[in-house]
Formats: sequence, structure tokens, C-alpha cells
Amino acid sequence: MTKRTISRRTVMQVGAAAAATFAAPAILHAQTATLKITTWGGKWGEIMKGSVLPAFEKEHKCSVSADQAFPFVPKLQASPKKDPIYDVLHTNSNEQWKCLVEGLVEPKLDTKKVPNLADVYPYAISESIVGVSIFTSAIGLGYRTDKGLAKPTSWKDLADPKLAGMRGGYLIPVNSLGQAHLMMLGKIYGKGFQDLDAAYKALEQLKPIKLFDFTGQMEKAFLSAEVSMGVIHDSGIYRYDGQNQPIDFAIPKEGVPALEQVLSVTPGSKVKELAYAYINYMLRPDVQKQLAEGVWYSPSNKKVNLDAKYDARLFNTPEKVAQLIQMPWKWYNERKDDIDTRVARILKS
Amino acid sequence: MSARRFDAGRAGYFALNGAIVTFLLAPIAIVAVFAVNPTPYISFPPVGVTLRWFEKFFSSEDFMNALWLSLQVAVAVLVLSMLIGAACALALARGNLPGARVLTAFFMSPLMLPAILTGLALFQIYLLAGIGRPVWGLIMGHTLVAVPYVLRTTLAVLHNFDRRIEEAAAILGASPVRIFFEVTLPLIRPGVVAGGIFAFIVSFDQFPISLFLVLPKGETLPVVLFNYMKFDLDGAIAAASMVSIVMAISVVLLLEKLIGLKAYVKL
Repeated sequence: MTKRTISRRTVMQVGAAAAATFAAPAILHAQTATLKITTWGGKWGEIMKGSVLPAFEKEHKCSVSADQAFPFVPKLQASPKKDPIYDVLHTNSNEQWKCLVEGLVEPKLDTKKVPNLADVYPYAISESIVGVSIFTSAIGLGYRTDKGLAKPTSWKDLADPKLAGMRGGYLIPVNSLGQAHLMMLGKIYGKGFQDLDAAYKALEQLKPIKLFDFTGQMEKAFLSAEVSMGVIHDSGIYRYDGQNQPIDFAIPKEGVPALEQVLSVTPGSKVKELAYAYINYMLRPDVQKQLAEGVWYSPSNKKVNLDAKYDARLFNTPEKVAQLIQMPWKWYNERKDDIDTRVARILKS
Repeated sequence: MSARRFDAGRAGYFALNGAIVTFLLAPIAIVAVFAVNPTPYISFPPVGVTLRWFEKFFSSEDFMNALWLSLQVAVAVLVLSMLIGAACALALARGNLPGARVLTAFFMSPLMLPAILTGLALFQIYLLAGIGRPVWGLIMGHTLVAVPYVLRTTLAVLHNFDRRIEEAAAILGASPVRIFFEVTLPLIRPGVVAGGIFAFIVSFDQFPISLFLVLPKGETLPVVLFNYMKFDLDGAIAAASMVSIVMAISVVLLLEKLIGLKAYVKL
């Protein structure tokens, strides 16, 4: 029988091989970190998937898993906080506030980690915002230009009796625009956004009104003339620019609620630096310009130079931005169940 | 020859049936009209005929990937639910299992729960177990709600099953395995296949469970359609619906060709 000996060299070789074996997944992981985000579909999604995200992946040598399948918030709620299903959450402001209250997202972003925050309009990082608003659209009144209607100048114009059955609104429990409109009614007909009694009374006066789940449905209702005047964001009308459609957008004199596109980081994210880098990238002037002109959203970065036709309509100067109204979403969310019950009763009767 | 007398009862019977058929088929007719109407919104009467929405649907990578995934998942669910459902039905009907009624209710329970809750629960279980959202997890979720269909149809066949046929085979010397494959299985096949067809359609159209279990870039057709509708409500949705309907009918016809549907119609 021969005695087998183990040399120091062998031990070192085996040790090195074992170390490499165990370290390999970590190295691979580091090389191909995956950033999990939420994002919209439609034209926005096309631009994101077509060029914006591939460019980010190339710049940061990572992969981005972009979830376009709603509902984002319940999925985030159901996932472990220490290992959330998303690293960056993109939603409207109302949902961000809901997530913040539940500890699902970080409240604010740091300029040191997201340097482009220094260049955004104050509204984008105001006290009304969780994280940062990277774009906004303005919620105002859309109308058909071929129905003999004067261009609306006030939110009160929607209550014109001539529009009975031809005005459009939203199913308030499920739509941010509907919720913003309800608060706006409180401001116009009562003492402020929180004057719900005045808002309910004004909502009653808008009946009969056609209600929609999504803005996409409202857009089609405008195109098919099912609705002559209704609540919609500017992007939902301007995106048909150049298609010879008899529709236009009006900014009521009382101001326009901002429909912010908000990004925030989840506290349990394992790739936080990458998450901050992504938000910084989304705020970069060239990326902002591409998306703003692609979907008619107003960019948050002050340094974005839009082409003339976008420049004329989007909210991209301090004077125009001053017309944007930021809604008290935290307050609204705290009462949402009661509000939902009440508006359902009003609109069903 | 005398003229046939007007039968009010018969006329009423046909009128009622006609109304029911119209009610059932009207949504399909509306979708079909929307799918070939050139306007990007529902308008009636249609202003023309176009195939542009079908072209948009078939040329969209997102739609095609989703359609392909939905088909693959539905086929897997069809096979799995037939295997599991038939085995469960045999065990429940013949196994003399204690608490067979309770077990039957247990297997049928996925149909009693709102599917969205089943989806959310599976999503949470998968994440907590560190599984993530693999395609097999989606297939398992669909199978969960598809098995009761196969179970119910197979149990119905077994309820009327004449066991003397099996006894005759046994007396003639057939082994239990041979009896199963040559006597039992052919006789319960109509029930299993009928359930399988339901399982395929339930999976292909499954939305609430898929909503939580699909991965980015790995979404099934109903999920893609739902998300598409939020931003672009145009005729591509109707074209996709028509394709889904044609797909479901094709599967039924294919099974009829391969296995024969007439037998299960007797159920």
C-alpha cells in the first residue's frame, strides 16, 4: 500500500479552486447587478425599453428588470421589506405617500447621491413629494373644439348644464386624476382642498357624468366625441398633436393639479447606489428631453432645452411651474376609505 | 296539405333561445367589429374595414411573446391538471378515503376563493421561500385553479361508472394495470378531456393570479392586454381578443379531432 501525501502546493491549489468556486457567484453578481424598477407602459414604456434603459445598462454595466404590470404597491407590500421586489418605485404621488407611511420607501433623496437634484424645480423635491418628481403633467380640462364650446377658463365651466351627459370624470377610488379633481372642487367651491363637504356637493352638481377607470379610456372618449369636456392631464391631449383631432387642453384660471411622476428608493434595496444612479440618470437633461418630448411630460430639470412646440406648451419655466398645484396626498390617503364610500354613494344615486 | 298551425309555445321557445344566444354572442360581435374598424376607439356603425390592428398585434414583440408564453403555460396546465385532477378523482371516488367529502371540498376550494387573493398569497409564499417568480410557479398557480374543473368532470363520469365492466375484465384475467389503461381510462376519458379543455381556457385567460406571478418581460397575454389598455385603448386589444377566441376554439376543435368530443357532450 502506498502512502498518499498531500503537498502544500496541492492544498493551496485546492484552496484557491474552492475559494474561486464560492466567490464566483458573488463576483458574477457584482458584475451583473440587477436593478428592479417599476415603470409605465404605452409610449413611455416603448421609449424606456427601446433606448433609455439599454443606455443605462450599458453605462452602469448592470441589467434593469422593469416591471410594467400593475399593481405595483400591493406587490411591494407583499414582498419582504429586507428584500423588496423593487429597488426604485415609480408611481404617482398619492401611492408614494401610501408607501412612505408603511415604511416601504425612503422619504427623501440626498443631493450627494443624486447630484442632478440640484437642478430640479423646487416643486419636484418639495415637502409634498416623497423622493423626487422626475416629470409632471398638469390636470386640467380637455374639450372638443368642434362642439361649439368656448374654451374653458375655470373649473366651474365643467358644471355647465349644457354638458349634461357629455362631461367626463373618473372613478375616484381608483384614479389619481379623479382624486385630485375632488380636492380641487373643495378648493373652488369651498374653503380649501380639504373641504370635503363642498367637494361632495359640487360633485353632485356634475351629474350626469361619464366615468372612466384610466386616462387612456378618457382619451378615447374625447376622440370618439363620447365626451365633450372632461378632466384630463395635458399629456393625454397633447399626444394627439399633429393627428388632426378636434381636441384641446385648457388650463383653468384657478390652477392645475400636478400629476407627478415620482421615483423613490426602497429601504431594503440591495443595490442602493445603483438605484440612486438610476434616479440621477432619469433627471439628466438629455434623458429628460427625450422622455418629455416623447410623451409630453413636463421635465423637472430646469436645464432641459425643449424643442419649440414642446417649449410652448409644457411647464418648463418658473412662471409656468407656478401654476402647478401640489395636492395634500397624505391627508387624502388618511381619509381615502371614507371618501371612497361617500363618492360611490353620490355617483351611484 | 293543411297549413301548419302557429304554435305560440314553440315560437316563444325559439325567441327565448334566440335572445339568450344573442346575449352570449353580442360581446364577441362587438369585439369583432372593433377589431376591423379603422378608428382607434369603439364607434358604431363602423366606418370601414381594416386589418391594421391585427397587423399591430402580430408585429408587436410584447404581444407575441405574451401570446407564446400564455400558450406554453396553458398547455402545461392542461397536462398537469388532467393528471392531478384525474388521479384525485379516482382516489376520492374509489379510494375509500376517510373524509372523502371534506377532501373533495378542499380540492374544490381554489374555485371558492377570489383568484386575486390566491395570486397574492402565492406571490408572498414564493418570495418568502426565496423562489422568486419562475414560470413553473406561474404554471403551479394556474394548475391550482384548473384542477377543480378536471376533478368535477371526472367525478361526474365516475359517478355513473359501471364497475361490472372492470370486474368482467378482471375475471377474464386482466391485470389491474391493464384494466386501468384498457378499461377505466378510456371510460373516464371524456370527463378528463372535458375538464382539460376548461383547464386550458382557464389558464389561457387567467388574469388575477398571473397579475402577481408574472415577471417583467415574462408577462402573459391577459396581463399585457390589461397594462396596454391603461395607456393605449385601441383596436389592437380587440384584435388580441379575437385571436384568443380563435385560439380557444382551435383547441376545442383539435381535441375533438384527436380524442373525440361527442363522448364528452353526453356529460
